Amino acid sequence: MANFFQQVVSGLASGGIYGALALALVLIHRATGVINFAQGEMATFSTYILWTLTQNHGWPYWPALAFTLAVSFAGGFGVHQVVVRPVERGSVLRVVIVTIGLLLLLNGAMTWIWSGEVRSVHSPFPTRTIDVGGVAISIQDLGTIGVSIGVVILLGLFFRFTKVGLALRAAATNPAEARLVGVRVPLMLGVGWGLATMLGAIAGALTAPTVFLDPNMMQAVLIYAFAAAVLGGIDSPVGAVVGGLLLGVALNLLGTYIDFVGADLRLPAALAVILAVLLFRPAGLFGQRVVRRV
Amino acid sequence: MTRKPIVLATAATVLALAVGASALAGSTRSSVDPGITPTSILLGGTVPLSGVASAYSAVAVGANAYFKYVNAKGGVNGRQIDYKYLDDTYNPAMTVQLTRQLVEQDKVFAIFNTLGTETNLAIRPYLNAAKVPQLFAASGDTSFGSDVATYPQTIGFFPSYQAEGWALGQYMKKNKPKAKIAVIAQNDSYGRDLLVGLKKGLGGGSAKVIAAQNYEVTASDVGSQIAKLKSSGADTLAVFATPQFAIQSYVFANKLGWKPFVLTNVVSSASNIMLLASEGGANKRVLGSVSVVFLKDPTDPKWSKDKAILLYRTILGKYAKGANAKDVYHVYGMAVAYATVNLLKRLGKNPTRAGLIAAVDSMNIRDDPFLLPGIAIKTGPGDHFPLSQMYFQQYAKTGWKQFGSLVNYRG
Amino acid sequence: MRRLAVPVMLFGALAVAIVLAPLFLSDFQAQQAAYVGIYAIALIGLNVLTGYTGQISLGHGAFMAVGGYTTAILMTDHGVKDLWTIPIAAVVAGAAGFLFGLPALRLTGLYLALATFAIAVSTPAVLKKFEGFTGGGSGKNLFGVKELTGGIAPVHVLGWKLNFNNWLYYLCWTMALVLYVVAWLLLRGRTGRAFRAVRDSETAALSSGVSLAKYKTFAFGVSAAYAGIAGSLFAIATTYVNADTFPVQLSIFLLVGVVVSGLGSLTGVIAGAVFIEFLPLWAQDVSKSPGAPGVIYGVILIGVIFLLPTGAAGLLPGLLRRVATLFRGR
Repeated sequence: MANFFQQVVSGLASGGIYGALALALVLIHRATGVINFAQGEMATFSTYILWTLTQNHGWPYWPALAFTLAVSFAGGFGVHQVVVRPVERGSVLRVVIVTIGLLLLLNGAMTWIWSGEVRSVHSPFPTRTIDVGGVAISIQDLGTIGVSIGVVILLGLFFRFTKVGLALRAAATNPAEARLVGVRVPLMLGVGWGLATMLGAIAGALTAPTVFLDPNMMQAVLIYAFAAAVLGGIDSPVGAVVGGLLLGVALNLLGTYIDFVGADLRLPAALAVILAVLLFRPAGLFGQRVVRRV
Repeated sequence: MTRKPIVLATAATVLALAVGASALAGSTRSSVDPGITPTSILLGGTVPLSGVASAYSAVAVGANAYFKYVNAKGGVNGRQIDYKYLDDTYNPAMTVQLTRQLVEQDKVFAIFNTLGTETNLAIRPYLNAAKVPQLFAASGDTSFGSDVATYPQTIGFFPSYQAEGWALGQYMKKNKPKAKIAVIAQNDSYGRDLLVGLKKGLGGGSAKVIAAQNYEVTASDVGSQIAKLKSSGADTLAVFATPQFAIQSYVFANKLGWKPFVLTNVVSSASNIMLLASEGGANKRVLGSVSVVFLKDPTDPKWSKDKAILLYRTILGKYAKGANAKDVYHVYGMAVAYATVNLLKRLGKNPTRAGLIAAVDSMNIRDDPFLLPGIAIKTGPGDHFPLSQMYFQQYAKTGWKQFGSLVNYRG
Repeated sequence: MRRLAVPVMLFGALAVAIVLAPLFLSDFQAQQAAYVGIYAIALIGLNVLTGYTGQISLGHGAFMAVGGYTTAILMTDHGVKDLWTIPIAAVVAGAAGFLFGLPALRLTGLYLALATFAIAVSTPAVLKKFEGFTGGGSGKNLFGVKELTGGIAPVHVLGWKLNFNNWLYYLCWTMALVLYVVAWLLLRGRTGRAFRAVRDSETAALSSGVSLAKYKTFAFGVSAAYAGIAGSLFAIATTYVNADTFPVQLSIFLLVGVVVSGLGSLTGVIAGAVFIEFLPLWAQDVSKSPGAPGVIYGVILIGVIFLLPTGAAGLLPGLLRRVATLFRGR
């Protein structure tokens, strides 16, 4: 039984990471109706900035993180303005290929700049573990889950109560009318990308202490984040985090108790989730609308 | 009238086919083997320069730097060694295409240092049929050393994964006869061969493997697997995983409050990897870990004044600008390049492929400076295991400590 | 019939050029050209789906895998001669595509891209899982298997002696030409009109009596069958399959290849196929630093979308028209 609970706890820890990246996906999808295949690589890139600042330039953790978030925001904004904006209103195919091109480009650039070696990034949380009835719970994992939930709450408040948040929502849901009431739509969409990239940076900073940093760190996480986002409802921030946690636990339990799945079919299992949700409940657990055509 | 274009086209096609095919028949052979000119020897191979395995491309960078160093000193018997390595992204289909390019278009003398098990398996029948030497395949698959009768043109280099697993098994049998061992292994021939070797090494002893878990290279973490292994009640953890997952294994064991004795493998035991796993000293699970070793570790302070490591740093600085000298894969590249230069020297003024294979069958190199002292590169007819000797080492606060005498396992 | 004369003549010229090309190619270049033919087949198929019916597939590498594995398993475990496995591969992959087309009916745009991407990503894991059947990670090696035509020994065809690379070249391009004609016949008739109607407006197509389900799944099936043939030829040409020989990157490159070719046009497929075969080679000629090829792929992919919105097919007629006016002007 201890193993069961241990698997649940470890699943929640992985799930927190999936959820964090899924949040970034959801934000971009809400803002620009795009599924960003490069989200994982963008998060990894941000994490490398954090690593460079703390390891090579001796910055303390928190200022380095703040700086990383700022750079990520600017980077996300820039990526949107330069490569995504020209194609986002055209065919879906072109957007998909551009974000995939971005994925390959960033992955290569990271290998080029920082080499493929594994690096470590310090955790903002203590590495201690609490023992609860034979189940080990690490403070780091609690931190990861806590941050994901905190970000969801902040996002909710941001969208509901701030001017920028409202403008963002308007620009995303009805660009034409938003323009009429004076919202600068392209700018707002760029802000959406900037925010999502910041969230990605947070996801990367939470992932790196346990998974360890290399150029491919987020590649597997991205697939699980897709599954989490779809499961929760691709437009719902709450859904992204809940979807992530559910997925993390479900995959661990499947892998542990169903021999056929084991570790080798973990990825296909996540993809089966994507297919099943898209087919039978396209709005996901928390989505409000029926999947719209973009 | 309307049919005319079709008829015309068909007629033209047939005619063209006849002309084309007849012109293609027949080719001539010269007496000198491909890749050999009066001033140069061309070697070629594939490594992943992009994609998930790109970290291993350092083996080509290190080898290339060493060849450039040898060339600057006059080359081999007056010939410069050119080493052309191409990016196969670790995809065997690309390996096949690029290897054919190297053989058929670039006319290499031999395929050298191609990285990976499946990639080398994919090209092996072709190279043997074309009688092109497949020199020092960078893989620990046993069959590259043992299938000499079927594939005489093929030879591996480093100790096979089975040999490594066997050595670790022997260590457990002798030193921890009551151990209950849990294994985390990559789900491919690398992880599997290590496990097979470990079980062979344990032999009939009472130390036993009681649980084994796989992970996929595409996984994000091994947290679930380590938790399951902990619950098996094992007191020893064998880590048959690549660096990222090996580090994670230590970290997750620590997180779970599990304190097993750890066996780790060569691919992941470089000092800089262990340093990462120690989480800045917070993770005590790394202390006492045992692994085998055959290369000089450039991050080990013991070798900081060693001639070969000093030379290694000079060569890398001069001929591979920007390469990270802490990366032990570069040392591997130089070790294998050293053996290659030694082989090519033995071929004399007129190197041939047949001569190369004959030389491969009788290697006895005792002075490869990038290997640990005492380790020899030895082969014989029907025995293509150049490296089979290793030392044990144990990790302490100050780094790895070599102990015991040489262990040897051919297979 | 008269309006057919020009396309038929053009096609005849193309066929002649293809037949004569090996005269001007080295032995090895003939092999590369064979791969171009293989990718051309896959691109024709994908264009039927994406270009004509408007359904995105990021998973066509998976259908190639189905074809490739059908061929490899039949050759190594069941003693079927390589050529005979090609039609079987087409049927098996086509059936797989048709079956996937049923759920795909409910997905549009980005979601179909995501779902097919999921298929491409999970294919290697599934192939490894059923090791007894697929050979797992070690895969299946076809080189030297007696069911393989050629290898090191020359191939005798109708009294001519061809070496392996030229044999592959003619095999792949014969298939490509035949399949090109089949696709052309299919698309110029009623089916093609229905496909285009589905792409341009599903509602309009429905109201004019086109069955969405029927044509969308049919397009998936045809497209997958083409991919299956390409995969089968790929296995024969590479003489090896394993879980990593049909990676996600292949699926991505195929989709980009379709864009390079020009959506909804068959004339540009050779350009798309050349792009897929040579991009990795060009990229590493530019730089060998680890990671650099990836950067180049990425830049080129994005560049293609920005600079070639209509693909090669859009570029070519423009050029031809200019050349034509030049001549007419004289």
